[in-house]
Amino acid sequence: MADADLDFQTGDAGASATYPMQCSALRKNGFVVLKGRPCKIVEMSTSKTGKHGHAKVHLVGIDIFSGKKYEDICPSTHNMDVPNIKRMDYQLIGIQDGYLSLLQDSGEVREDLKIPEGDLGKEIESKHEAGEEILVSTLISPSSSSALCPERPLLFQITVLNAMDEEAAIGIKALGK
Amino acid sequence: MMAAVGASEVITQLESAAKVLMAPPSMVSAEQRQHAEHVFLSFRKSKSPFAICKHILETSKVDYVLFQAATAIMEAVVREWILLEKTSIESLRTFLLTYVLQRPNLQKYVREQILLAVAVIVKRASLDKSINCKSIFHEVGQLISSGNPTVQTLACSILTALLSEFSSSSKTSSIGLSMEFHGSCKRLFQEEGLRQIFMLTMEVLQEFSRRENLNAQMSSVFQRYLALANQVLSWNFLPPNYILSLGQSLLLILLRIKQSFWKIREDSDMAQDSLQCLAQLASMHGPVFPDESAQVSYLAHLVEGLLSMINGIEIEDSEAVGISNIISNLITMFPRSILTALPSDLFTSFINCLTLLTCSFGRSAALEEVLDKDDMVYMEAYDKLLESWLTLVQDEEHFPRGCFVQPAIQVFNSYIQCHLAAPDGTRNLSVNGISSHEEEEINELQEDDRELFSDQLSSIGMLGRVAADHCIPLLTSLLEDRVTRLHGQLQRTQQHLMASSDLGSVDRKVLDDLYEDIHWLILVSGYLLADDPQGETPLIPSEVMEFSIKHSTEVDINTTLQILGSPGEKASSIPGCNRTDSVIRLLSAVLRTSEVESRATRASLTELLSPQMGKDIVWFLRRWAKTYLLVDEKLYEQISMPLSTAFGADTEGAQWIVGYLLEKVINNLSVWSSEAELANDTVELLVTLVEKRERANIVVQCESWWNLAKQFASRSPPLHLLSSSVQRSLMKALVLGGFAHMDSDTKQQYWAEVLHPLQQRFLNLINQENFAQISQEEAVKQEIVATLEALCGIAEATQIDNVASLFSFLMDFLSSCIGLMEVYSNTPETINLIIEVFVEVAHKQICYLGETKSMKLYEACLTLLQVYSKNNQSRKRSDATAEEDQYQDLLLIMELLTNLLSKEFIDFSDTDEVFRNQDQGTPASNRTVSAADVVLYGVNIVLPLMSQDLLKFPSLCNQYYKLITFICEIFPEKIPQLPEDLFKSLMFSLELGMTSMSSEISQLCLEALSPLAEQCAKNQEKDTPLFIATRHFLKLVFDMLVLQKHNTEMTVAAGEALYTLVCLHQAEYSELVETLLSSQRDAVIYQRLADAFNKLTASSTPPTMDRKQKVAFLKSLEEFVANVGGLLCVK
Repeated sequence: MADADLDFQTGDAGASATYPMQCSALRKNGFVVLKGRPCKIVEMSTSKTGKHGHAKVHLVGIDIFSGKKYEDICPSTHNMDVPNIKRMDYQLIGIQDGYLSLLQDSGEVREDLKIPEGDLGKEIESKHEAGEEILVSTLISPSSSSALCPERPLLFQITVLNAMDEEAAIGIKALGK
Repeated sequence: MMAAVGASEVITQLESAAKVLMAPPSMVSAEQRQHAEHVFLSFRKSKSPFAICKHILETSKVDYVLFQAATAIMEAVVREWILLEKTSIESLRTFLLTYVLQRPNLQKYVREQILLAVAVIVKRASLDKSINCKSIFHEVGQLISSGNPTVQTLACSILTALLSEFSSSSKTSSIGLSMEFHGSCKRLFQEEGLRQIFMLTMEVLQEFSRRENLNAQMSSVFQRYLALANQVLSWNFLPPNYILSLGQSLLLILLRIKQSFWKIREDSDMAQDSLQCLAQLASMHGPVFPDESAQVSYLAHLVEGLLSMINGIEIEDSEAVGISNIISNLITMFPRSILTALPSDLFTSFINCLTLLTCSFGRSAALEEVLDKDDMVYMEAYDKLLESWLTLVQDEEHFPRGCFVQPAIQVFNSYIQCHLAAPDGTRNLSVNGISSHEEEEINELQEDDRELFSDQLSSIGMLGRVAADHCIPLLTSLLEDRVTRLHGQLQRTQQHLMASSDLGSVDRKVLDDLYEDIHWLILVSGYLLADDPQGETPLIPSEVMEFSIKHSTEVDINTTLQILGSPGEKASSIPGCNRTDSVIRLLSAVLRTSEVESRATRASLTELLSPQMGKDIVWFLRRWAKTYLLVDEKLYEQISMPLSTAFGADTEGAQWIVGYLLEKVINNLSVWSSEAELANDTVELLVTLVEKRERANIVVQCESWWNLAKQFASRSPPLHLLSSSVQRSLMKALVLGGFAHMDSDTKQQYWAEVLHPLQQRFLNLINQENFAQISQEEAVKQEIVATLEALCGIAEATQIDNVASLFSFLMDFLSSCIGLMEVYSNTPETINLIIEVFVEVAHKQICYLGETKSMKLYEACLTLLQVYSKNNQSRKRSDATAEEDQYQDLLLIMELLTNLLSKEFIDFSDTDEVFRNQDQGTPASNRTVSAADVVLYGVNIVLPLMSQDLLKFPSLCNQYYKLITFICEIFPEKIPQLPEDLFKSLMFSLELGMTSMSSEISQLCLEALSPLAEQCAKNQEKDTPLFIATRHFLKLVFDMLVLQKHNTEMTVAAGEALYTLVCLHQAEYSELVETLLSSQRDAVIYQRLADAFNKLTASSTPPTMDRKQKVAFLKSLEEFVANVGGLLCVK
């Protein structure tokens, strides 16, 4: 089939941080860059100036990292930047000097992510303390998850978002349920 | 308690309690306040408090205590009526009246309360033969003739109190008597008292209107009586209507009210009241008039008076609505034969006056819009008058031929004038002739003019048809002129831009004025040329058809076609352009507008164009195409040659125009993707073009159609920029087009272009190894969402003759969709969309599916529900402050279940008739999943999630009750099998719905009860939970029917439920009746009730679940409710 324009395999290799989209094609709950920040659209409405005016889109977004609210208004024909967002789940295997040790799919461990500030950071720390040293295993592949001992709710999965060269942990949940 | 203490002590106690109650909140404690309230309550309940109350009234100086004393008297009189000596009641009444008369300085609320007590006594006495309170009218008459304004005011208060008490409305005091009592009093009062009050009122009005000057005090009395007259005239009569006796004096009354109007115009409140009286008088009808001639002379009198009134004055703002109400009532209520029986001079003057008034109100309404007034009184009045015109013109055949043509022209012209810019029109001109031009922010919620003003436009369109000879050419020439000007203006702007290339420097004023002119001209043209009936085939209006036929001999067909076929050229530049069919020429004018727009977009001037005008154009073309395109000659008695030549089946004209419209649609979809509403209107035009097979046949012959299909399937710009609802409709249109007539190769090719890429792309994507990883990427998500939207669109395109192939196609997707439920479990909007696909498929297709196909769908739905349920357990919803859209998934699930159930009601399938040749020999006994399984499984999910809080959302509440009623009706045998807690919550829901929801839901719940009771009867098992529950419902329904004031619409539903419940629980029913009877003290009432209950069940003893008996019971129930329904219901 003529799917030249649709190549998902090469999804992240060389993907740009953002791509343009006509304002009118944006959707509530989708993502957009507002004031240089990657945001989730929580409100979207249109208006026009005068009966014969062109549509303008009013956007309200929440910064996916900081939770701050941003607003913008622009003509609906305008192109807006949409952030390429990657969502990754890693298994938490340790915390060192304020950095998280996370197990990647490939088996490698990355230790370059800081514990987030605020409540989430505290939650991660306390949950981790309650846990113990944990067997290394990935979570996406189903075969390995069966190797886990489901009775031990001490494994935690950290959800990490990556957008516009910024990366942060945004959630933690127990594994093995 | 009171009896034990002396009078003065009582007064002291009451006065100090009053002090506490009147004190500011900070000064007294809650306990003190409560205690004080208790003092008054028990005082009012004390036995025979008459002496002490009189004493209080005469001695106490505390108003609040006086008020309570009056209340205590009122309550005690009613309570102890039977025990009281009639003479003492009479003297009590006299005492109260005299008391008020002697104390002109009483606080208003005390006085009113005492008069209320008087009115209640009079009312209670009216049904008691042993006591005569009729003298009250005589007494009031004397008060009125005293000539003393203060006394007259008092008299007015008495009459007002009587009216309120006898009206048996919300204003009536609750005195603990049956509704039957209230009703009987009202009937009796209608026969005599009402008339007496009216006559008294009229006397006062007459007297005042005779006077030359009224001082402030007198005019206030005057106003009170006017309001009283209004109250009488607005009396809500119980049948039979006894106002008959009023008839003879009506003319007199009319005269008086009109005379009074002159006196009081300066006072706008009073003018309001008297105009309302006149409006009531203008709606007089029925047995008031002894015969037709009386009605005619009454109307003549009314109209004459009205004309002299209107012609003599300059109407004030506050009078416009009142006057338009009088006219509207008159035109709506008087039969045509009476209107036409008016002397012809008078009728003509009336119509002329109405014409002038309409035009004048229209101008004032336009002015109100310019000034942006909050209170649009002229707009309201104008709406009323236009509505009256519509009523008149629709009955045109009753009136002299052509009598409405001239008025129609005038009203039409003035409407157009108000909506066009200067110099032709007066739009946006304020009184001093200065034009105002402000650009305000308009949000997306604001309705389009075509809906906002649809009533006005319908009337104007209708008037335009009546005067088609004038109006159609007028619209054409105005529109052609504006289009030429628009074209020129755009060209000039383009040149200007070439020089400066700064869009900001363009003056939009001229353009916007042209757009607004064109906007209104197109709207009026659309409403004039065609109707937009829902669900019917719209016909060319007969006036338009006749107009075209009448002129067809003067018309040159070829020139007409040339004008039609050359939208790019100026109409007036075509030789012989004045010999064209005017109806076609008006369409051509709109096509010219469309062409200017399209060319501007090609010249990259889109930013200068008006999306509003774009919407108007496609809206018009859609409305026009539904009616005129491929006009079906069989539907008309006679048909215009030009119209059938230009737009008939198998004509070049029709083919050309389909092609043109298609080009327009395609151009719009690519140029206007950023204007959601315009894109929506555009795609609706496309759907209209293909939803009728005849039109679709032409559409699919166009190459551009195929290009559109390919372009959409490739999901490339610009079509993928369209909003999801537009994409959905576009998919629907493309599918509908696929069922047009094509040879089989072409057809195959078509589907290969339209549907297969969708499937292919989808499968390629989800079958990728790393789909789980990439699934959250924005581009992937968008692809998935687009596919799901397209699937909904495909389902929407289902018709009986395409369901076979569409069902098979969609089924392949459904299982993959279920897989996506897991993948996207943390994106609710995608989950909702997946469920929506199922909802749409079930909604559009299940009624056509035979057994095997249905089962496949049930299976798929069951799996969906299983996955949903699993995901739902881990789903976090926000707290109680959640918005309705948080529960969209729940709503959709309920909708899905309801749709599945609907098959039991609406089933067009004929043992897989539509699927012949497709699946043979699948034995039905193999059935694995039934509708009941799916639905009950679904209910298991839904019930625990539905809380009382969620029922506060109307959409969830309605859907929920619809669903559970359906289940009880269709699968009553499954209800007892529900787990205990679910069963309980279902029963609780039913009770809640019956007792404390809207009447619509209460009715649904009642309907659910009969099948449940029948189920119990079938099982013959006692003491099952369902059996016990139905016993409880018996009491609820019994109370509802017998003891509560229920909505009469519910009597049938409640009656059916009651009957089946009675059958099931005969002993309990007898017990309920016994208990009720034994609580009756009054022997007469006891007997009436006992007889009524006997009669109720007489025809169905012993009650059995048999249709005939049930019907007999329902009939008896109707009588029962009429006889004793008011007896037990207390107000």
